[in-house]
Amino acid sequence: MFFNKNEGWFFVIPLLIWLSLSILFPLYIAIDLSFYNVKIIGTEGKFYGFKNYIKLLNSSKFWSAFNHSLLWVLGNAIAQTFFAFLIALILNKKFSFQKIATNWIILSFIIPTVVIVVIWKLMLSSSSGIINATLINLNIIDQPIGFFSTPSSAFISLVLINSWRWSPFLALIILSGLKSINREIYDASKIDGTNVFNEFWYITFPNLKHVLFVLGLVGTLLSFNVFDIIWLITKGGPSGGTTTLPLLIYETAFTKFRLSQAAALSVITSIILLTFSILFIKLMSDKNNDEN
Amino acid sequence: MKNILKFILSFFALSFFSISAVAATSVTFWHMEGVPHRVDRIQTLIDEFNSANPGIEVKQEVQNWGEIYAKAPASVAAGTSPEILVGIPDFTPILAEMGAAQPVEDFVAELDSKYSFYQKALDQYTYNGHTWAVPLWNMALSVWYRKSVLEEAGIAPPKTWSELKAAAKALTKDGMYGIGLPGNKQLYTDQTIYSFMVNSGASEIYNSDGTLRFDNPETVSAYAAYKDLYQYSAPDAANWTWGEAEACFASNSCAMILQFTVISTYDSQAGGDASDLGVIQIPYADGKADSAGTVSYVNSAMIMTDDEAKMEASKKFLSFLMEPGNYGRFINMEPGLFLPITEAGSKDSTFWDDPVAVKYKSQIETMLDNSTRGSLFGFTNGNTFTSISSISAQNLLSQTLQLAIIDGKDAKSAVEEGQSIMNEAIE
Repeated sequence: MFFNKNEGWFFVIPLLIWLSLSILFPLYIAIDLSFYNVKIIGTEGKFYGFKNYIKLLNSSKFWSAFNHSLLWVLGNAIAQTFFAFLIALILNKKFSFQKIATNWIILSFIIPTVVIVVIWKLMLSSSSGIINATLINLNIIDQPIGFFSTPSSAFISLVLINSWRWSPFLALIILSGLKSINREIYDASKIDGTNVFNEFWYITFPNLKHVLFVLGLVGTLLSFNVFDIIWLITKGGPSGGTTTLPLLIYETAFTKFRLSQAAALSVITSIILLTFSILFIKLMSDKNNDEN
Repeated sequence: MKNILKFILSFFALSFFSISAVAATSVTFWHMEGVPHRVDRIQTLIDEFNSANPGIEVKQEVQNWGEIYAKAPASVAAGTSPEILVGIPDFTPILAEMGAAQPVEDFVAELDSKYSFYQKALDQYTYNGHTWAVPLWNMALSVWYRKSVLEEAGIAPPKTWSELKAAAKALTKDGMYGIGLPGNKQLYTDQTIYSFMVNSGASEIYNSDGTLRFDNPETVSAYAAYKDLYQYSAPDAANWTWGEAEACFASNSCAMILQFTVISTYDSQAGGDASDLGVIQIPYADGKADSAGTVSYVNSAMIMTDDEAKMEASKKFLSFLMEPGNYGRFINMEPGLFLPITEAGSKDSTFWDDPVAVKYKSQIETMLDNSTRGSLFGFTNGNTFTSISSISAQNLLSQTLQLAIIDGKDAKSAVEEGQSIMNEAIE
């Protein structure tokens, strides 16, 4: 043992100072701003108390964005988990070009967001998109689909695009978990006559719980905060159908010019995410420990 | 000794040039014309100006429309705003209210005496007793079509809304949409729906006391007509901006579109047969020929500094751009899109001598003619109020349209709700 307990603080303190400066200070500014009625950056505002919070919590726009955020996180979690497991289980099998396939799937999250947006917008276009043209040529549809023409179709399209982007990344993490499972367990189960479903449910899934715990927490937080893809494709439309909380914060601050309201929204969003993280860590880590 | 003398002389010479360089007044020019050939054209003019004016150094910084509404006020607050900011009318009131945009009526009067501004161009920047920006160029929405497509269907270019609807309906077949109309909550849709409002006699959205008169029968009829036509547009038009509409027209998937221009894409991507490209003014509501008009955006330059030297340098640069010989080249940074806003500019040979202008002369003449009947919401008949920035920045005209075309409300309820959203936005 080279260091005693107190010496460890010397290594942690710089990080704590950095976190205080980079997270707590802006959070303090946001909290302070939320109690005023500042509209445009750089202008003065009057003290407003909790009025911004009361106004927001009574606003249908806030609850609509909140619901969209929940649906967004849920939709992405389901789609990404499904696709990630599918990819990881396939890549975990031995087949020709397996290494090439493993490297190839990384492309989706290496490509810049803007490029992804352009590609998908072009592919899903109803007048010149390849997907509509293919579906028409295969006689699956007779009229082009407007993938972004209604709130629900736009929402589903965005979830799928975002999942397309991030599933391979999750798949690689799951794949590394799969590789760490002892093959002997599978061999033994085969001797006992286990079927594929039971093999997944009783061997693969329990052994991946630590990986899934991290993915569940980090993935939810990252997913909740997605702004770029939604903003670049639909800007929260049509008719507000894809406006999540991060988009509402941006719109409130920079198109409605209600800076204090946006700060109040940010504080509420931070509280939501913090509460989720604490509950998730408490519930899931307890469960994991119990099971272990 | 000789070497020492040389060294001393060189030192003084270098110091002199260094001081001269430091003493040059710098002018930062923010604009949103980020297309590479537009940036190149502006740079050419800046280089000419800088070499003719050694005491001034102009440099351009390209911004984008998506961010400028947030970025410009932030730059003012941070004390890093440019000396010149190119903008559109509904952007100016925010910066004027912040004290950032400087009144320029004397300078504009001086330019007016030389080049004679079109009155409509000045109207969009003159309110509260001042002129807030120097008009640079105009853009006006027109209807674009292929003559051969209409002729083949036996349809004459529409003049009224009922003719437009009949044409759109007849042309919607065989993978073609009769008309490409956007439904996005975005500036392009603000422009298209307002052009319908103008043509039904609903160009005014304010009363003279600053209260809103958006909710009126003429506005309702414009929204109803738009909703009616929207069924002949592409299914993903709810997500369109200018580019998608232009692509739809270029690929011959849209028979007609409302656009400032299609000349550049038509010429480079759609064969470029000038004799087949048709352009007409936006059709008007039946029986409302006297309301015929369009939406026009006079782009301008705001002077954002109160520093005397920088202000003078900025004015000198803008004067340089407005001079015949430079002006045509300046607005031809995108030939066939930007239209002159001065009489002298309209006659500038450098405007009409451009190969694109020569090829599409008749179309550009029609665009120019349409632009003289252009107006802009919130900037009509002197009824201009700073709260218009809240309405335009939040795209509330198109948000109201989405209530009708996406949420399925009837035009009357949508407009009624739209006015209430606007009232909330400007409170």
